[in-house]
Amino acid sequence: MIIQTPPYLKPGDTIGIVCPAGYMAFEKASECVRILQEVWGYKVIVGGTLGSKSATYFSGTDQERLNDFQKMLDDDEVQAVLCGRGGYGMGRIIEKINFKKFEKKPKWVIGFSDITIFHSHLYSNYRISSIHGPMAAAFNDGEYNNKYVQSLKDALEGKWAKYSCDIHELNRNGEAVGELVGGNLALLVHGIGTDSEMKTKGRILFIEDIGEQKYSIDRMMCQLKRSGKLDKLEGLIVGGFSDVQDTDRTFGQGIHQIIYDFVKEYKYPVCFDFPVSHEKENYAIKIGAGYKLKVGSKKVTLEE
Amino acid sequence: MKTQMNRKGFLGSGLAALAAIPFSNTFATNNIIPDLVPSIIPPYLKPGDMVGITAPAGYITREDIIPAATLMQQWGYKIRVGYTIGKREHTFGGTDAERLQDMQLMLDDPQIKAIMCARGGYGAIRIVDQINWTKFKISPKWVIGFSDITVLHSHIHHNFGIATLHSKMCNSFPIVWNDASMLQKQTILSIQKALSGEKLVYSAPFSNYNREGQAKGILVGGNLKTLESLAASGSDINTDGKLLFVEDTGEYLYSIDRMFWNLKRSGKLSKLAGLIVGGLKIKQDDPGEYFGQSVYEIINQRVKEYNYPVCFDFPVGHQIDNFALKCGVMHELYVRQSGSELNEK
Repeated sequence: MIIQTPPYLKPGDTIGIVCPAGYMAFEKASECVRILQEVWGYKVIVGGTLGSKSATYFSGTDQERLNDFQKMLDDDEVQAVLCGRGGYGMGRIIEKINFKKFEKKPKWVIGFSDITIFHSHLYSNYRISSIHGPMAAAFNDGEYNNKYVQSLKDALEGKWAKYSCDIHELNRNGEAVGELVGGNLALLVHGIGTDSEMKTKGRILFIEDIGEQKYSIDRMMCQLKRSGKLDKLEGLIVGGFSDVQDTDRTFGQGIHQIIYDFVKEYKYPVCFDFPVSHEKENYAIKIGAGYKLKVGSKKVTLEE
Repeated sequence: MKTQMNRKGFLGSGLAALAAIPFSNTFATNNIIPDLVPSIIPPYLKPGDMVGITAPAGYITREDIIPAATLMQQWGYKIRVGYTIGKREHTFGGTDAERLQDMQLMLDDPQIKAIMCARGGYGAIRIVDQINWTKFKISPKWVIGFSDITVLHSHIHHNFGIATLHSKMCNSFPIVWNDASMLQKQTILSIQKALSGEKLVYSAPFSNYNREGQAKGILVGGNLKTLESLAASGSDINTDGKLLFVEDTGEYLYSIDRMFWNLKRSGKLSKLAGLIVGGLKIKQDDPGEYFGQSVYEIINQRVKEYNYPVCFDFPVGHQIDNFALKCGVMHELYVRQSGSELNEK
């Protein structure tokens, strides 16, 4: 079954911003709203979960977050849904989301980190593409002009991506073509065994994470491997792993080596430090879209 | 928290292996899944039997296992110290190959009747798929430990239906026995009682969050994070009709919430006979990221649509009151106004 691509955006189209997971103050997203309207030429609708009155970790109760998100998915006036931020909480409402209308009239849903569970759920159950990419805070401090935030604009407009990055000594050279899937490692692992599990066979997988212990990354890679998520890949893209922690009794290996060891027995291309991460370096990637990955001796390229 | 151990008869080893309790009629007998039938019980230990000590996960010094080795000798057991004890490969008790080989030697050595993992940490999952279980399946023996060792409990239960012992390990034995608190002594002695075939009785105090009721089922479980990391792997347990116990340490509240969602969404909560929650030591929320719910509330929300009994504050976990529990063995759980009780059947 071919992947469904939501319509690309035209000037004057509307982007809805919601927070289906953690709380976000409106000020943290106001620059994003301004840029989307004044510079990118879209209309913006802000859902009640952005800058909400919630006093908890979440931007609202499960029901409030679900309602706000559902409304944006179903609203005919909204052509794309941008998640304000991740945090934690999408997994608590994912099963309750009604995809009936969305399935017939898909639109781009944008986000990463905790939003990975949405991408994975949507891709595996409905074969609809969505965008793993920068969220509202990435627009702050003048950064909306950087090539990573700009890549989101291009993706929404339907310009095909052509990304490249430097080589890494542990890269395994080669070429791969396939649907690109992936996201936050902890969330990919969390989805295993559930209805939101990411399908990886015959696909190119990308992973990134932040703030994890080395042993925990090792254990998550173990789980990917033992649940059959690594052996039949076309390629592996390792993004940024920020703020990696280590125990007092040190793990004794760097994060690149840890990950490489889990795939050393396979033959597909592998690249490290690809610009997809919790840092500024975070290209927009269309989950489920066809990409060509080239891991060469001079550079790495990823083209739609 | 008070826990009593009752002496309730003694199961001989031969008898125990055959002590198949008549169980649920819902399972087809012609296609038996090992983890859905009452377990094979390894022979209980007799004085003079040998206990092997190995480090399949984190490293431990030779000095640190002396209290455990000495006490187990006083119980009348011979001790074999594996060559991974005192070995160190960064955080691990030797390389994967070394830890695997030491474990394999102990599993295959007919003289060794029980294997105590010296400590948890991290690492069992890195070797579990390479272990050759052929001899162990023919001559089962007790595998003992908790935390990271949940990998072995889960793997052995799921694949072979052989009972294991979830308990404290060498690093929890008191250095000076006489200086230890009564509770610590009781928890350590519960290992001896379990290994010698005593049926244990455990109790937990009343909790407002409990859901009262009575249930019978095979006891399975262990460390919550480790259980989650086994989902969809060859070591993943089936929890249908069972009593599930969980414990963890050092996790954020949001992470506990997420792990319970994983249990729920992977179908591990809907058909339980009962849920037993041990210690869940929480890592403080980061500033500005207050989760706002207790573990009790988090867990109760995930199981509110079911009817089985739920027991909180059970004496199992990364804490002093961590009693030996026989995984894969039939137990009965009573959750009442007066407190909770778990009995081996």
